[in-house]
Amino acid sequence: MATVLLVEDDPAARQGLELALRRLGYGVQAAETGEAALRDFRDAAADVVVLDLMLPGLDGFEVCRRLRRGSDVPVIILTARGDDLDIVGGLEAGADDYVVKPVEPRVLDARIRAVIRRTARTGSPAETYGQLMIDRDSLIVRRAGQDVSLTPTELRLLLVLSASPRQVFSREQLLGLVWEHDYLGDSRLVDACVQRLRAKIEADTSQPRYIQTVRGFGYRFGPV
Amino acid sequence: MPVRTRLVIAFIVVALLSAIASSWFHTLIGSYHLSAWLDDVILGPRWLQSLVSTTPRSGHALLRFRPLGQPAPLADHHTALTFFGIEAGVLLAIIAAVALAVSRPVLLPVRRLARAAQRMSGGDLSVRIPPRGRDELAQLVTSFNGMACALEDKVGELEQMESRARQFAGDVSHELRTPLTALTAVVGILDEHPGLTGDAAQAARLVSQEVRHLNRLVEDLIEISRFDAGSAQLVTDETDVANAVGRCLRARGWSNVGTDVPAGLTARLDRRRFDVVLANLVGNALRHGGPPVTVKAGIQPDDRGDGQLAVEVRDHGHGLAPAAIPQVFDRFYKADTARARSEGSGLGLAIAWENTRLHGGHIHAGNHPAGGAVFTVKLPLSAVEQP
Repeated sequence: MATVLLVEDDPAARQGLELALRRLGYGVQAAETGEAALRDFRDAAADVVVLDLMLPGLDGFEVCRRLRRGSDVPVIILTARGDDLDIVGGLEAGADDYVVKPVEPRVLDARIRAVIRRTARTGSPAETYGQLMIDRDSLIVRRAGQDVSLTPTELRLLLVLSASPRQVFSREQLLGLVWEHDYLGDSRLVDACVQRLRAKIEADTSQPRYIQTVRGFGYRFGPV
Repeated sequence: MPVRTRLVIAFIVVALLSAIASSWFHTLIGSYHLSAWLDDVILGPRWLQSLVSTTPRSGHALLRFRPLGQPAPLADHHTALTFFGIEAGVLLAIIAAVALAVSRPVLLPVRRLARAAQRMSGGDLSVRIPPRGRDELAQLVTSFNGMACALEDKVGELEQMESRARQFAGDVSHELRTPLTALTAVVGILDEHPGLTGDAAQAARLVSQEVRHLNRLVEDLIEISRFDAGSAQLVTDETDVANAVGRCLRARGWSNVGTDVPAGLTARLDRRRFDVVLANLVGNALRHGGPPVTVKAGIQPDDRGDGQLAVEVRDHGHGLAPAAIPQVFDRFYKADTARARSEGSGLGLAIAWENTRLHGGHIHAGNHPAGGAVFTVKLPLSAVEQP
């Protein structure tokens, strides 16, 4: 079963979440501060990080940014606020998903499963679109021959979009296909992830070639 | 110069001018041998004439009238009356001119004061009038400024108190989330624990049920404090109404709710907020009204003749008490005080109302002629997103 690195400064919340996650079958590594989280992550590679945003010292946004520098581990942010600024800030820092406190264990479980599933392999041959090579089997993306490092969410989004080139996906559809959210998912997740993905694969993000916006409808892959 | 002095001077000037004018007039037409009574009419009684009369300057009069070549004086009543009219006209013109000249500087500050008072009653408490001079009107302006200052301070203080109270409600709710996170995480363990039997199992169920209730209450309080703080934002998408209604009911397991929504009906809505509005209205109807509950949607013309989305949630119970109708959207309002605390937070309808308002629409509560309560939500077909 997957290992979760839980970063939460409140002892009761940390204990409660640890207990619930263990009961759900996850291995749990708990950290009290951002500094401890970064240290623990280096020592024991976790499959997913559940990160509280309000931490003493190094805050959750900074922890997320530092994690992203060296790793593509899925990050789910845990916010007590549900404030738009927090969520947008977390997504910009590279988080894959978010949950608002107090979170029901089954909801957290579903989100963790969804981010982990994104790394699942589909077993089809490599495809090339312009300068972009997508290998669905080994989950490798290359741009002009160079490996591109994508987080599982970014990769999954690219795989979903490129599986049906030219087909327009609405944000709602993508939330269901990539994030496995219910119908009231937050479309900002999609927009933030598209921005990050474009920054990695597009030559010019202001004139995207691969991930194109269809105003009023959503996104599509190509035509290249 | 004080207003009183100005007025006194104005009166003196007017009196002097009229005296001079009548004296001049007397001299001018004196040569026409007016009858004594007309003399009295034009010039006033003898005693007044003696006060203001001067030596007749017939030379002056001759100078004016001789060139016309009319040597004979006219004692004709008509001519006399014409002169009388001219005299009155000249006097009126002089008085009016002086009055205008004097009243202008007096009325100007009064007008500015009136304008300022108007702006103030329109809600702009920052309005002040630059004081000019040191007369009574300047004093009035100073008093007005003082009053505006005091009023602004007081209102500012009240607003601050209110915003502190609202901020407090929001802060408390946020603070409650952390302990609730721990509770919510573990309460499920109690729920499913096979070791608990009898009283312990019942207690565990109660704890778990109330933790859920507390969660809903805190969530609703935070939602409403966002409206109070003005930080609630609309995120709209083109929405298929039938789809949204169906999903809202399915997600909550309300399969017994009847729907009548035409296929292909779309509107630009904030989906989450629309879902909240509908869920709160249907939940309220299921809890407090009688079955069957139905949801009907369609397009209706609004005041300007444009189309608007109308969603009607109706139950078949006893309906709302007429006295309760104006209050149903109040926070924590309970129509039936004897009823035990319901599973809602008491904020559901208030939240529905705020969400509708954010879309630029409104909700109407009433009773159906055939029985049962009807809540009608009217929303513009394309809600405008605030920046």
